[in-house]
Amino acid sequence: MLRWFMLTVLILVASPAFAASIFNGVENRSQAIYADLKGNNSYHAHLARKLAAHAVEEKRQSDIGVARQLMDMAEEHARKAGGQ
Amino acid sequence: MMKFGFLAIVTALLSACATTPLDIQHSELDEARALIAKAKAAGAERCAPKLQAKAVADLYMAAHEYSEGNVHPQEQADLVASSTKAAKKAYRTAKNNCGAKPKPKPKPKKVEVIALKGVYFETNSDTLTAASVVTLNNAVTTLQKRASIRVEVAAHTDSRGSAVYNRDLSNRRANSVMNYLIEHGINAARLSAKGYGEASPIADNATVAGRAENRRVELRVQ
Repeated sequence: MLRWFMLTVLILVASPAFAASIFNGVENRSQAIYADLKGNNSYHAHLARKLAAHAVEEKRQSDIGVARQLMDMAEEHARKAGGQ
Repeated sequence: MMKFGFLAIVTALLSACATTPLDIQHSELDEARALIAKAKAAGAERCAPKLQAKAVADLYMAAHEYSEGNVHPQEQADLVASSTKAAKKAYRTAKNNCGAKPKPKPKPKKVEVIALKGVYFETNSDTLTAASVVTLNNAVTTLQKRASIRVEVAAHTDSRGSAVYNRDLSNRRANSVMNYLIEHGINAARLSAKGYGEASPIADNATVAGRAENRRVELRVQ
C-alpha cells in the first residue's frame, strides 16, 4: 500500500507541469513578470502583465489549469518584451 | 484491484491538470477579433500598446468563459464588451498617433557674428598689438550703438601646436579682448569670453594664408 502511494507521489512530482505548479506558484511567477518588466511599456510587456493578473485571478477562483495556461502565455509575452 | 485503483487515481489527477487551450475562434468573439486585427494593422501595438494589450487579454478571458459554456453569461458579455471597447479605442489612438509626423526640430538659431578683422596678438601670447586698437575701438562703438545686445568674445587659433595649448591660448586671447572692451566702457554683464582653439577653422590650415584666416577673434551675438 505504502509502495503504491509513494509511486503515485513520485509520478506526480516528476511531471514537470505539475511540479512547476507546486514549487513555483502562479503568484510567484506573476511577481517575477512584474519585476522583470518594470518600466517596460511595450505591447508585449502590457499583455504579459494583463495575462499574469488574469492568471492570478483564475487561481483565486481555483481554476488552476487556466491559471497556468494564462501564466505560460504571460511568460511567453514577457520574453518577447525582453524580460524573463 | 489495487493496480486498477492506482491507475484510476493517476488518470484522474493527470486529467485534472489538463486544460483545453483558450480558443478565441468562437463566433461570439468575431467582432472583438476583427477590431483587434484592425487596430493592430493601424499600428496599435506600437502606438497604443496598453489598450491593445487589454483588448487581447480580455479576448482570451472571454474565450475562456465561452469554453466553460454558459456558466457566467454576464462575465462573458462584460469581457467581450471590454475587449471590443479597448480595441476600438486602440484603433482610434493608433490612427491619430502612428501617422502623426514628428514635430520638426527647431532650426538652430543663426548666430550673428561680428568679425574683428585686424585684431592681432604677439606670437604665442595674449598681448594685443598696437595695430589692434582701431578695430577694437570700432567694436566698442558698435556695442555702444547696439546697447541691447550681449556678445561672446570668441577667439580661434590655427592648428599649429597642440589642441590643449591652442584652446588655452585662445581662451586667454578672448579674455584679453573682453577686458579691453570692459576697460573702454562696455558693461561686463553684456560680455563673455570663450576660446575655441583650433576646433572651428574657416580656411585651410595647410597654407600660410589659411592659417592667418583661422587665427581670428569675433563677437558672437547671443
